[in-house]
Amino acid sequence: MTMNSNRQGKKRFFVLSLFFFIWIFLISFKLFNMQVLDYTTFMAKVRAQTNRVEELHPKRGTITDRQGEILAISLLSKSAFISNKDNALSLAVFKKFCGLLALGNSQKINIIKRIRRGEKFIWIKRKLTDGEYLKIRPLALDKESAGTIDFIDEYRRVYPQKKIASHILGGVGVDEQALGGIETSLDSEIQGRGGKLKVLIDARKKIFQFKYLEQPVAGKDIHLSIDAALQFFVERELAAAVKKFQAAGGAVIVMSSRNGQVLALASNPDYCPENIWNTPLPVLKNRAISFLYDPGSTFKIVLAASALENRVCGRQEMLDCHNGVYTIHDRQITDIHPYARLSFDDIIIHSSNIGAAQIGRRLGGEKYFQTIQKFGFGRRTGIMLPAEENGILNPPQKWSGVSLAFLSFGYEIAVTPLQMATAFNVLASGGVFVRPEIIMGDTPDAGPVRVLSAANQKRLTEILTAAVSRGTGKQAGINGLEIAGKTGTAHKVKTGKYAGSYVSSFGGFFPAHDPQVTVFVVIDEPLGLHFGGDVAAPVFKAIAEKIMLYLKLFPDLPAQNEIRL
Amino acid sequence: MNSQNRSLADFRLAILAFFIFFVLFIYSSLNLKNVDLGYRQHELLLAEKKLRLEIDFLQARRAELLNLERMEKIAMEKLGYQYPEPGQIIKVVEDDNE
Repeated sequence: MTMNSNRQGKKRFFVLSLFFFIWIFLISFKLFNMQVLDYTTFMAKVRAQTNRVEELHPKRGTITDRQGEILAISLLSKSAFISNKDNALSLAVFKKFCGLLALGNSQKINIIKRIRRGEKFIWIKRKLTDGEYLKIRPLALDKESAGTIDFIDEYRRVYPQKKIASHILGGVGVDEQALGGIETSLDSEIQGRGGKLKVLIDARKKIFQFKYLEQPVAGKDIHLSIDAALQFFVERELAAAVKKFQAAGGAVIVMSSRNGQVLALASNPDYCPENIWNTPLPVLKNRAISFLYDPGSTFKIVLAASALENRVCGRQEMLDCHNGVYTIHDRQITDIHPYARLSFDDIIIHSSNIGAAQIGRRLGGEKYFQTIQKFGFGRRTGIMLPAEENGILNPPQKWSGVSLAFLSFGYEIAVTPLQMATAFNVLASGGVFVRPEIIMGDTPDAGPVRVLSAANQKRLTEILTAAVSRGTGKQAGINGLEIAGKTGTAHKVKTGKYAGSYVSSFGGFFPAHDPQVTVFVVIDEPLGLHFGGDVAAPVFKAIAEKIMLYLKLFPDLPAQNEIRL
Repeated sequence: MNSQNRSLADFRLAILAFFIFFVLFIYSSLNLKNVDLGYRQHELLLAEKKLRLEIDFLQARRAELLNLERMEKIAMEKLGYQYPEPGQIIKVVEDDNE
């Protein structure tokens, strides 16, 4: 009995052991199979389930003004798309979507067509505002929609000041590609660099480990030299003038006289940077740097500077002004107000073209050309904005018999408003050429270059101050504030000929004895009045009044308007 | 003698087993700790990202509220402010002597 039970026990033990070993063998075999033979397949499966590489999109840098006010910023937003698994369901959901959010008719038709074609991924609206997202979200979460509508995170460029500084900022497209302005010229710095993040996720799709494969680099923040408040005032005054004179457009540049920093740069017509892709091309043109025109009488400041530097005329020396009509090589030069003789000073103050031609003749082509070049004409100023024009300045070898005379009062040369502003700033900055800059800290490679002596700068400033107090620029004058300036009225060239339209301009700086701000105004094709003194000078005055208050450049006030603490 | 040797061998085996168990225990707890830290690190990363986005949003909102056109409209229409006429400008001079 005992022997039998022992034998039976051993048998059971043997069977159990056998099962146990077979079980162990099977597990080991399976493990061997998984870990060794099919290692690659299973490892790939595991990696697919747990490893993921996420693309990290860089955030574009923020653009601020000199006071740190935000002009452009990128915010994360949702972009809605249809994940089309069932055409009928997608159409029904899209119909509901249209009830919540307004879409253009052509856009609606296009989306419906794409759903019917059975496309799997269809954008509905990209870069939704927060309000739009909150409207649609319930539809996306709705069980009936069954995940038909979904969202992707994308950065949306926001311009909180709307139209202000549109021509400086430019704008970006739907994929954040730069479409103009600073956004284009500094795109490589602003856009940053994307990165890659390798993440390990658990069964609940939670990330428990991550590693940067490529570290993302955020876009660089840009600090502009402009002041948003000044820019606002300037744009508004310019828009009012363009409207008043039904002009084709205009531009204004405000610069800090001392360091050439651009405080405001306006171009009209303007646009909203958020809608740049809907804006017609002519509106996108930044007239301050791309508008080429004959400067007319404002250019006489260059002539006067050259004449003073080369000592070809005494300031009180009288020159023949031929009673308003002067013919040279069969070309007639006229003055609006005829004068028999005028002194050098009065030629500039009263803006006599014939007098200017006489000064030019004394000066000679070579010397005048050298001064024009020193003032920065014929080449870009180098401001950090795209599409800046060089201007047109022919060398003396290409000049005709009348070129010198016409160049003396600002014809046969094409300039941009910014070049003119920079030229006026030479006088305001003590006689040195300072490259205009629009980015804070963007110091030019070469330092200021002296163009005319301090004594001659002082003389010319006196002449320009008189041009405002008793000359053609009277309408730019402000009681108690000493302004130095010069008017300009030029025939406009259309299809190679001087047509019956004009460009009116005024450039100046103040306070004349210690210049702080240089302003240049140009109005293109004003209707009705067209003289610089009637059209551009009042705009200058209106802007100067605002600047005066904003920068606390108080004029010499009567005693009753001063309070002593 | 034999039983003494056997008990010494058993003791060594037990020590070895304990050591292996100890090493495995430390290894797994560190691994768990590592995973736990990974979760926390990622949560903090997300929280930081969320805060940065909120800062951006608030900055943009502030800039929108300080939009100059809006400010001027409020100042002139609601508060009745006006730009001063040339004769209305008053200069306040602080006397340095006092």
